Amino acid sequence: MMREFLPQLPPVISHAALFGALVVLGLLVGEAARRYAALPRITGYVVAGALLGPQALGLLTDNMLFDLRLLIDLSVGLIVFELGFRLDFKWLRANRWLLVTAIAESLFCFWAIFGALLFFGFRPLLAAMAAAIGTATSPAVVMLVVHELRAQGQITERLLLFTAVNTVFAYVLLTLLLPFLHLEHEAGWEQALLHPLYLLWGSMVAGYLACMLMLRLAAWLGKSEERQFILLVGMVVVVVGAAHALKLSVSLTLITFGMLARNLDRGYAVLPVHFGHGSQLFFVILFVLVGASLEFSAFSVAAAAPVALFIIVRYFGKSLALLAFGSPSGIRPGGAGLLSVALVPLSGSAVVMVRDTTTLYPEFGRELAAVVLSAVVILELLGPIATQFALRRAGEAHPDG
Amino acid sequence: MDEASFSASAALSVGIELELQLVRPHDFDLSRDAGDLLARLAKRKLPGAVKPEITQSMIELNSSVHTSCAELLVELEAVRGAVAQDAGVLNIRVSGGGSHPFHDWADRRIFPNERFRFVVERYGYLAKQFTVFGQHVHLGCPSGDDAVFLTHMLTRYVPHFIALSAASPYYQGEETSFQSSRLTAVSAFPLAGHIPFVADWDEFLEYFSHMQRFGIVTSMKDFYWDIRPKPEYGTVEIRVFDTPLTVRRAALLAAYAQSLAAYHFAERPQQPSRTVYLVNSYNRFEACRYGFKGDMVEPYESRKKKIGEDILDSLQRVAPYAERLGCAELLAELAAGVRGGESDANWLRGQHAAHGALADVVREACGRWEKGGGK
Repeated sequence: MMREFLPQLPPVISHAALFGALVVLGLLVGEAARRYAALPRITGYVVAGALLGPQALGLLTDNMLFDLRLLIDLSVGLIVFELGFRLDFKWLRANRWLLVTAIAESLFCFWAIFGALLFFGFRPLLAAMAAAIGTATSPAVVMLVVHELRAQGQITERLLLFTAVNTVFAYVLLTLLLPFLHLEHEAGWEQALLHPLYLLWGSMVAGYLACMLMLRLAAWLGKSEERQFILLVGMVVVVVGAAHALKLSVSLTLITFGMLARNLDRGYAVLPVHFGHGSQLFFVILFVLVGASLEFSAFSVAAAAPVALFIIVRYFGKSLALLAFGSPSGIRPGGAGLLSVALVPLSGSAVVMVRDTTTLYPEFGRELAAVVLSAVVILELLGPIATQFALRRAGEAHPDG
Repeated sequence: MDEASFSASAALSVGIELELQLVRPHDFDLSRDAGDLLARLAKRKLPGAVKPEITQSMIELNSSVHTSCAELLVELEAVRGAVAQDAGVLNIRVSGGGSHPFHDWADRRIFPNERFRFVVERYGYLAKQFTVFGQHVHLGCPSGDDAVFLTHMLTRYVPHFIALSAASPYYQGEETSFQSSRLTAVSAFPLAGHIPFVADWDEFLEYFSHMQRFGIVTSMKDFYWDIRPKPEYGTVEIRVFDTPLTVRRAALLAAYAQSLAAYHFAERPQQPSRTVYLVNSYNRFEACRYGFKGDMVEPYESRKKKIGEDILDSLQRVAPYAERLGCAELLAELAAGVRGGESDANWLRGQHAAHGALADVVREACGRWEKGGGK
């Protein structure tokens, strides 16, 4: 007779428990990366995720990844909000060259990648979309490395600012390219025009409304860091959910929310955000999951040359703009070079952008994926190292960081 | 002992040093951008000098030498404008005040130069805790004997200087209940305190060479006294002022010190007295804790009175000299403030009451310093 108090063999482990194990493993590999290889912890998280992911050990399945997508969105939401919150319009007003530099950084980078991909014979639309995605620096990688090193200073501030600007640039440009995609797939004029308008305006209006609500609530709650922190996390969860439900861009909504929360707060109701230990947990989760969703299968020998060129011209596009305009915008000599290295991480949300395109037009998404996702795999591993190196070299990392 | 030979300077010439806070606007904690800001300012032609200080969160403005504090004020306003503008380009805010209300001293980073590295090596955490901000006023003296005399005379006014400049009610995130909490950070150093009771420059040199022979000090810089002779400049240096919230107030304080010196040099109404040093630490504490409302023991009359009251009396006594020095208006402004009980510390507390967070206090203080002008 079966003893019913004993578990079945093999025991059924819940997703929650697996997920906990994931966090612990990510943490350990991250720590090991730092201790034994002097690599950023973030690289360790990504490697742990990649090992556990569907393409290696398979402990994390595609289904689980799909279930956990909300967590990724939430983590990215918090990070993008904080990035937006750091963007001070007053600085841009006091330093006009800064905005010029930031825009040049995005434009140069876009044109460089676009040109390179055309050279390899990609269709202009495909090349433009890949270039738009490639323009964005990863907010998550940059924020995590800055947190981890406790970096502060001129290069760090500019790194965050330029990341915010090129993230917005990439999203807006990608959205503006949507009509061409629709037309290519013979969708109606209405869809071609209305979809981008809806995405852009909808996301910005949603961000604005969230900001106004948040300012009211923060003013009513008063200046307590604990209460405001809970309010912030709650609001970000709501806004991420709402953006999903309304089929808006999560990143664009959240970055608008963050920017406005900082710059429209005339009564100074919102306290500066300090995520503390809590944010570290989100970072571990995020990057383990990012690692697990890396598409190693995207690699192919045929794509190697365009991918390599994609990465190289992307870097040169960024550094050219910084070298040209860095000095009038007040970067110290030698700082422009370091800044362009720090900007190397490619946005992990490139994966999301590609996925969104894939769901719209599967065939088109796959073509895009081959180049972009391979670049993501490489830069997800190299990017954090580059940023860490640059901030250390700039002398802006904390000695214990 | 070349270092201690007194290089005479014009009596009553005046110059100041102002230590300023560099603040990052996103959370109003101290920044660490001194190096970048100084590099930028170096490209401008400014009167005086702008220098690094012990941590990367501060810079020091040095004025040029003046005979008139009204001119000093004009210069300070010009330098303030330049500093505020360059800081704006780098997204740095600049503020006066004796302490940053909530920074964490462990986060401070030492400015990389030889002397500062030595200070850290020697004093450990005291050096980082020393991230406080003071104003130093230099008064020219024709001879070493005059410098010793003036140092003894001005010691009587240490509580006055503290009460007038007090601008550090918050420290390490706490309301300290003090008007000036900054001086407590200075007192921790072994060579803080005051000059010994020496009669003249020769006797002072004797003391100094003793200390040197014992290996306790190597230079005059090692004394962290409230008021000290500065032989290489030919001045007496007053170091107890908190950096005020405006450059205007910095000029008012300099005018007060200059007028006091003029009065004591001209009339020699009192002689140096040991009693001054006997009551000094009591008076000093009262001034730090309560400001104008504190009690002080008047050493020459041996009676207690309010510090604010004695400041007003002294302002009256020096009025004729202020007139001659062209700073009567500045002192009238100072007196009006004392009568109204206005101090920078009270202003900071008012901001906290109005806005609710220490970050708001820093933001408002930055706005006040950068804007300049005003009363």
